[in-house]
Amino acid sequence: MSATTSNASVRSTEPLVWGNPSFHDVTQTVSGIVEERKTPIWWWVAISISGALTLNFFAMMAYLFWTGIGVWGNNVPVGWGWPIVNFVFWVGIGHAGTLISAVLFLLRQKWRTSINRFAEAMTIFAVICALIFPGIHVGRIWVAYFMFPIPNQMAMWPNFRSALMWDVFAVGTYFTASFLFWYTGLVPDWATLRDRAQTKWRRLIYGVLAMGWRNGNKQWKHYELAYLLLAGISTPLVLSVHSVVSTDFATSMQFGWHTTIFPPYFVAGAIFSGFGMVMTLAILARIVYPPVKNYMTVTTLERMAKVIMLTGMMVGYAYITEFFMAYYSGNKYEQFVFVNRMFGPYAWAYWIMFSCNVIIPQIFWSKKMRTSIPVLFVASIFVNIGMWFERFVIVITMHRDFLPSSWGMFKPTIYDIGIFAGSFGLFFTLFLLFLRFVPMIAMSEIKGVLPQAQVKHHHGHDEGGA
Amino acid sequence: MSEQVKVHGALAEFDGPQALMDAAGKMRKAGFSKWDTHSPFPIHGMDDAMGEKRSPLGWFVSAAAFTGFALALYFQYWTSAVDYPLIIAGKTYFSYMAFFPITFALTVLFSVLTTVGGMVVLIKHAFYHPVFYSNNFAKASDDGFFVSVMADDPKFDASATSDFLTSIGGTNVELLQEVEG
Amino acid sequence: MQFNQETYTFTDPGRFGKIMLIVGIIGLLLSAVGIAVDAHQFFASYLVNFTFWATLGIGGLFFVLVHHMTGAVWSVSVRRIGEAAMATLPMVGLLAIPMLLGVNQIFSWTDSAMMHADPILEAKLGYLNVPFFIIRTVVYIGVWILLSILLRRLSLAQDSSWGENAPSRFLRVSGPGTIAFAFTVSFAGFDWIMSLQPLWYSTIFGLWFFSGAAVTIYAFFAITSHALAKKGVLAKEITQEHRHDIAKLLFTFMVFWAYMALSQYLLIWYANMPEETAFFKDRWVGTWTFWSVFYPVAGFVLPFVLMMSRHIKRNRWFLTFWAVYLLLFHWFDLYWNIVPTFHPDNAIFSWMDLTLFVGMGGLMLWRFWAVFTRHPVLPVTDPNLQDSLDFVNQ
Repeated sequence: MSATTSNASVRSTEPLVWGNPSFHDVTQTVSGIVEERKTPIWWWVAISISGALTLNFFAMMAYLFWTGIGVWGNNVPVGWGWPIVNFVFWVGIGHAGTLISAVLFLLRQKWRTSINRFAEAMTIFAVICALIFPGIHVGRIWVAYFMFPIPNQMAMWPNFRSALMWDVFAVGTYFTASFLFWYTGLVPDWATLRDRAQTKWRRLIYGVLAMGWRNGNKQWKHYELAYLLLAGISTPLVLSVHSVVSTDFATSMQFGWHTTIFPPYFVAGAIFSGFGMVMTLAILARIVYPPVKNYMTVTTLERMAKVIMLTGMMVGYAYITEFFMAYYSGNKYEQFVFVNRMFGPYAWAYWIMFSCNVIIPQIFWSKKMRTSIPVLFVASIFVNIGMWFERFVIVITMHRDFLPSSWGMFKPTIYDIGIFAGSFGLFFTLFLLFLRFVPMIAMSEIKGVLPQAQVKHHHGHDEGGA
Repeated sequence: MSEQVKVHGALAEFDGPQALMDAAGKMRKAGFSKWDTHSPFPIHGMDDAMGEKRSPLGWFVSAAAFTGFALALYFQYWTSAVDYPLIIAGKTYFSYMAFFPITFALTVLFSVLTTVGGMVVLIKHAFYHPVFYSNNFAKASDDGFFVSVMADDPKFDASATSDFLTSIGGTNVELLQEVEG
Repeated sequence: MQFNQETYTFTDPGRFGKIMLIVGIIGLLLSAVGIAVDAHQFFASYLVNFTFWATLGIGGLFFVLVHHMTGAVWSVSVRRIGEAAMATLPMVGLLAIPMLLGVNQIFSWTDSAMMHADPILEAKLGYLNVPFFIIRTVVYIGVWILLSILLRRLSLAQDSSWGENAPSRFLRVSGPGTIAFAFTVSFAGFDWIMSLQPLWYSTIFGLWFFSGAAVTIYAFFAITSHALAKKGVLAKEITQEHRHDIAKLLFTFMVFWAYMALSQYLLIWYANMPEETAFFKDRWVGTWTFWSVFYPVAGFVLPFVLMMSRHIKRNRWFLTFWAVYLLLFHWFDLYWNIVPTFHPDNAIFSWMDLTLFVGMGGLMLWRFWAVFTRHPVLPVTDPNLQDSLDFVNQ
């Protein structure tokens, strides 16, 4: 077996990393971003904006706690409103990271190495944003501990049969698992930063984070198995989390919500939106850190565009199947929900959703579009918009329920908008901190897929005909 | 400054992944036991070359997964059907279908915590290790490939082992000893 | 049987095909007696076995589409098996004819008095009527046959001329083909199985039907690669590494199937709405109760626990065992979904279940073998072939 083909899962016509870097070049490029003494000016500008939004986020939440959730537009029949829209939106985005790290790892898609660290970080921040919304949506934030099975003076336990309780455990587990997966991947890179540290404090901090990593093969073998196990465990987890989120809707008896395709449909939508956000951020990172272009290559972006197109079509499949089944069911209420979505007062939201999620990704049939950075960027923004509107359509079109006398329209307030914008502020603040202090590309993994890292091994192909 | 500086082991650098792999085979043949190879990334096939056994982590994780599964199911049963039985949504006390999602989540949570915890234990986490006495060793996390032999290896002998490391292609061979200052 | 190891071609396809053809004809002739004995039972068994063998062709088509869509490398070595499985689709079209002839015996919605008596059913008459049903079935199978012919033709053309340009040409068919595939397979599931209970509906049903087809094709790969290797065909080309991948995918799609079945059951159980729970209520009477408990245990719990180990997946005999097991379970899965509408009181297995299984299977495998042995069993000029042969699980 020659050195180039041992890397059998990727045909070597196109290198994973451009510019043929040496091992040291990889270290230098990636660590260099973190070690740069002078923080670039754009970083200060960006974090000022996102920081201001974040402060606004907390201020509005404080007002919310003080006054009550009446400050939002939530009102019967739309009892859930924007907080749940935002929750599902952020959890969905939080799916790409673990999907890229876990599922693509198991599928031996080596192109994932350049974006996995980045996407995992994004996942963690998105899940943090997501977790805030149901937390503040309960209204009485000071009794949020009711969500956990803590023995109390009322001798009561949480209702484990509730889909909302499933969410607490599923999303909580997801956050823990994603964080540990991300951290495990970071350990060798912390060691690199420790070994390169010029100041005592850097060495100390990165040294503690690296947990005494010494790159020994007797460590690597446990590390690699741990990584494989985490990938194996996270794969069903990542698929289950959004399935559980979908049961918030689907276990109800509400027409338009109660439909059996919801779990896989939500998962496909989550992957779709997550890849959209990774694409947006990767393109921004390429602009502000040009050396990264050799790692997050156009080829990698092109592959992501294909995933976006595929998952967009899965979502489209779900839309069409739901619509057909509403007809087929012969159920007047079910049919009304879909007609109302498509042609009712919120038809504009439905068609934004449909065009952003199903129609716009179709441009990726063309290789020219898939490899054009501006097109990818704009399309990824549309994906983000479309997926927010998908949740908007699902939650808000309940505005016409079974009782026509209670029909109404949903009006978001300034607090709905401010808190939603604030969650973006928090997300980008965390992300900017990540870019500045954490290596954004997994150095040890990238080194492992470089051509000069391949060795001849006398691997036991079995006897074949046995 | 004391005259007797304790030697903790020896370290040699190698050219690249292939050279390290070949050296590992020779080290194994020579019968060393307390030694390791260091590389900036895991090298596929190195476990075979070193004669390393497969990591036992999988067994710990299986046990943890089973524990998490059983515990979660039992806890939900106990709270919902024994400690405070309450009929909700017309479902039976022990409605295992409704307990399934949380049972699954806790199975995963236990497995993940055990995987990472088990890894930290198995990699013999230590902030201090003799290999760090070498200034050259910082390269191991960048682009350096090393073989280290610890002094408590029965075959270890400061000069003979250094010579052996040189003979199998090692460069920058050095003894790992405490440096003052 | 004679096989040329140099050119990967059969110089003599041997007796296997002829035996299968004879077995098939005998099986079907025996079953034909069943129409006279008990037509009701005959069509129940017919639908179960027809959908079972159809999923082999559908699964083959799925595999080939995905293989080209993803540009997968490892699976080049089994591609021709998948293509031959896909080439059984014309046979599926032939076998669909008795189902279409017996449509009045199979589907209760053909009873117009019943349909008009219920306003909900009456509203469905625009979709559930015999002419439209026949047109749809012809369209589904027609689309599959068309795709399989196009892909097969490209594949054979690749042997003779344009190896290096192959991926983009395959992509041109497989891209749009996948969309057509997704809808036709789902609607085939809705029409052929879900509409047996015309009041009941479930949006995930199409995905459930698809999941069975995916399990079928990977199980089929595991079994055929084993059987072929014993005869010295592709023994060195389909390595342990390939079988490990087949095993992983078989396991994955088994879990995917369980995910579909669980989503459907959990949501319907939870909401507890009468028009939906009827489906499960019908399967919770008489001896059906036993089979409904058996269903998740045999379909998911046992294979999940026992097939998880890497050692099992890499062992030829264990893998073959689990492939046969999952195929049989897939048959039972269809049986459990179809037959309660024919035998509402108790689960009844009939000799026709067996004769039709063997009869249709004989014809399907005859066709498979005829196509498989006609051309080189490896796409010898595929640019990924060498990488596939060298492939090692990492």
